[in-house]
Amino acid sequence: MLTFLAKRLLYAVPTLFAVSIIAFIIIQLPPGDYLTTLMADWASQGGAVEAGTVAAMRERYGLDQPIYIQYYKWIWGILTRGDFGMSFEYGKPVSDLIWSRLGFSFLLAFLTLIFSWVIAVPIGILSAVRQYSIADYAATFIAFVFLALPNFVLALALMYAMSSWFGQSVGGLFSPAYIDAPWSCAKLWDFAKHVWLPVFAIGTGSLAALVRIMRANLLDELRKPYVTTARAKGVSEFQLLMRYPVRIALNPLISALGWILPAAVSTEILVSVVMSLPTTGPLLLRSLLAQDMYLAGSLILLISVLTIIGTLVSDILLAIADPRIRLQ
Amino acid sequence: MILSKALKRAALSTALALAFASAAGAVDYHQAPMLDEKVADGTLPPVAERLPENPYVETMVDSIGDYGGTLRTTILANGDHYNLTRTVANELLVRWDPAWEKIEPSLAEEVTVSEDATTYTIKLRKGLKWSDGEPFTVDDIMFWYEDVFMNESLTPSKSSSFVAGGEPVKVTKIDDDTVEFKFAVPYGLFLQQLAYGQGHQPVIFPKHYLKQFHEKYNAEGIPALLDENPAANDWVSLFNSKVSLTFQPAYWQNVDLPTMNPWILTVPYADGERVAVTRNPYYWKVDPDGNQLPYIDNVTWAKVDDPQLMVLKMTSGEFDFAFRHINNATFRSVLYDGQESGNYHFIDVQDLPANDAVLLLNLNTDDPVKHEIFNNKDFRIALSHAIDRQDIIDLIYVGQGRPAQVAVQPSHELYNETQATQYTEYDPDLANEMLDQIMPEKDGEGFRLGPDGNRFTINFMVSDVFGLSYPDVMQMVQEYAADVGLDIQIRTTDRARLNTMWSANEQDAYIWNCVGGLSEVYTDVRCYMPFQHADIFFATKWSDWYSDHAKGEEPPENVKELMAAYDKVNEAVSDEDRKARMEEFLELSANAFLNIGIVSPEPKYMMVSNDLKNVYDGIPINGILWHPAPTLSQWYFDDGE
Repeated sequence: MLTFLAKRLLYAVPTLFAVSIIAFIIIQLPPGDYLTTLMADWASQGGAVEAGTVAAMRERYGLDQPIYIQYYKWIWGILTRGDFGMSFEYGKPVSDLIWSRLGFSFLLAFLTLIFSWVIAVPIGILSAVRQYSIADYAATFIAFVFLALPNFVLALALMYAMSSWFGQSVGGLFSPAYIDAPWSCAKLWDFAKHVWLPVFAIGTGSLAALVRIMRANLLDELRKPYVTTARAKGVSEFQLLMRYPVRIALNPLISALGWILPAAVSTEILVSVVMSLPTTGPLLLRSLLAQDMYLAGSLILLISVLTIIGTLVSDILLAIADPRIRLQ
Repeated sequence: MILSKALKRAALSTALALAFASAAGAVDYHQAPMLDEKVADGTLPPVAERLPENPYVETMVDSIGDYGGTLRTTILANGDHYNLTRTVANELLVRWDPAWEKIEPSLAEEVTVSEDATTYTIKLRKGLKWSDGEPFTVDDIMFWYEDVFMNESLTPSKSSSFVAGGEPVKVTKIDDDTVEFKFAVPYGLFLQQLAYGQGHQPVIFPKHYLKQFHEKYNAEGIPALLDENPAANDWVSLFNSKVSLTFQPAYWQNVDLPTMNPWILTVPYADGERVAVTRNPYYWKVDPDGNQLPYIDNVTWAKVDDPQLMVLKMTSGEFDFAFRHINNATFRSVLYDGQESGNYHFIDVQDLPANDAVLLLNLNTDDPVKHEIFNNKDFRIALSHAIDRQDIIDLIYVGQGRPAQVAVQPSHELYNETQATQYTEYDPDLANEMLDQIMPEKDGEGFRLGPDGNRFTINFMVSDVFGLSYPDVMQMVQEYAADVGLDIQIRTTDRARLNTMWSANEQDAYIWNCVGGLSEVYTDVRCYMPFQHADIFFATKWSDWYSDHAKGEEPPENVKELMAAYDKVNEAVSDEDRKARMEEFLELSANAFLNIGIVSPEPKYMMVSNDLKNVYDGIPINGILWHPAPTLSQWYFDDGE
């Protein structure tokens, strides 16, 4: 197990290196740079942009240097000082910006995961055990409706309904009164009142897939001889179901767990933007639009790190859940 | 002779002197209840000591107001710090009145202009204080001038507002309250420039606070400060991270920066969910009854990532005031229907640029064929006649707007009907006739051939900006052009790419909107002649030549005349003279017909709570006129009790 871990971590180094280079190149690909965005911003305020100012700023930001030098400075800062560089737009160190949002991203991802599993797993089991029953069709139908509905549209519709019919304040994760307040029971309750909307909007999207995976795998298992044997030996139907078939059918769901970490940072950008959630998604989108390259590069690098950690975690979880799997 | 000269001078100096009847004798000043406790326990001096000797007396829109309340509004989560600026930060030496008709002293008590319009003597109000209670004096202005503006590292190139005849302004301290701005050549437009948003520069640099970050004053202390601040690697970036010349985010991230604004920052513009400000106890304006302004205690902005959510929050009554990003045709009906549930109503905003959609052909393109055709005025006239403007307005702008060229709005004194309406009638036959003179040959598909025998194609860069549906507009223009045998190819692109293209003079043509619809036309003529580099680029080389004859390319005679005419506008001293010269200039611009306008806008709107009073209906707003900040300090909540 330890050698496995060590090996995996060792392989990760060149991967991350390659990813960081590619990320940096991709961010530089669009024409212009952060200063082009800034100039457009000035122009809209009625300020003409003097060429000298732009040249001086380009030099100050290091944007006049070749891309490999910019890359070298950035990666060297990360490696030696844990310094991810400066966000041009916020004028702050990138690390200051990322961590606060990352917390909410993970929390949201975690809650969404629980939400979709709690609903999808029982429905999947039900659909498999009662195959082609009305319940099976109904569950599948509903799950597919949610799958077909883009979740940002669902988010908009939910917000509209909550706001106009129930008078709830929507958008963000807190009511205005609690945004800057310290944590308390009241703030937690306020959070709970807000967080279910994005959790529902994001979680329902993956429901159909989870239900189908669960159903298909369980159906496979249910037809295996050990099930027949157990049933012949008089094991109760519920015990029989839970002991092995369900456990094995969960495997694909567990291996997908590894993707939760990176997904927490990068996916559901649309829902987060539409609902103004303080997560990393809108930050990534905005940094790409503004060509705030150190911020964008750092977020992309972070996503890669999380993907590597995530797959590792899911491998370990799989080994625990399914004794047939060995890591050698 | 001597007498008349003296009279003239007196007239000039009194023209801008404020009548301050209320300041004569002892006036009883009052303050907001939220400050009472602090004054009682001695942490704050009494209101009369906080105010200047002769405070600015604000003219009320409706009536004297009541203190209290929090104004809730919104900004886009990123890249929208400008909205903070134009809501609460526009305190200047001189100001435009809310109707944008005349300039009044503001932080200045009196401004005297020399007869040749080169020297401006500005006398400050005595006893002005920064928001931390320190005096605001001429030394702060001199700090800006000597240590920021003239410092090559902090200001590598000077803002054109403070440059005339190629020379930056010379600022001299006369005494503790008086300062003189002197220009190398006559610069009659200086006060206008100073009254616009960009005129904030001399008054946002508190010397007592900022000198610690300046090499000249604290060279030994700076290394230690740099260690504390990971965002800065030298004193220049340290200084720029504390205050920003153009209200970039740094300005809104520093809660320690003293200001002259009615409210001071409490929750900075950082990566949080909101921004907040609270009243400045040293604010220097009062109402006619001697109540210190502002009336409203706090302002908060919810940071929202998506305009749709802004609309939703507006209609559910979560904001007291909003307009940017959502006051367009897309949201109008929803916002209209939500007035009751959101407890707000619409008021007019005179946001009237010279044109909302302008076809800008690159008159300095490097392609010799296109160069020849684009520079043929008849070609531009023909293209203009080929477009059915009313159809575009009906289909895309839901009937809002008028067919027009780039021109000053009818409501303004400089309106010129010829300029606004020339060549706007839809007349494809005439267009065809004119084009037959220029490019008679056509290919098999009916498209005209250029003088080189190839199909004449204009690649139009189109960026979907300002919510003005440019891609849709261009598709219609493309069809009209095809009807008269012109091949227009649409190249949709984003704004950043367009920015790089026009900076390198690579575009054939593009579509954009044009400032200069109301009074700003005096100072900002970028759509009327090749002018400074901002976002209007139809003759970069000529505008380069205009700013420095050693650069760029010498323009043809008619454009040079245009430029000379604008120089004369700059030199004019009296308002009448300036207006007359401006009319001449606009006439020349209309004759040159450098770009093709499509639609002139209708007034936009803003949403304000039904409980808010003293809100100026029909307030003019544009890129350089940073309203409603100057009137916001008199807004108040009237709960109808």
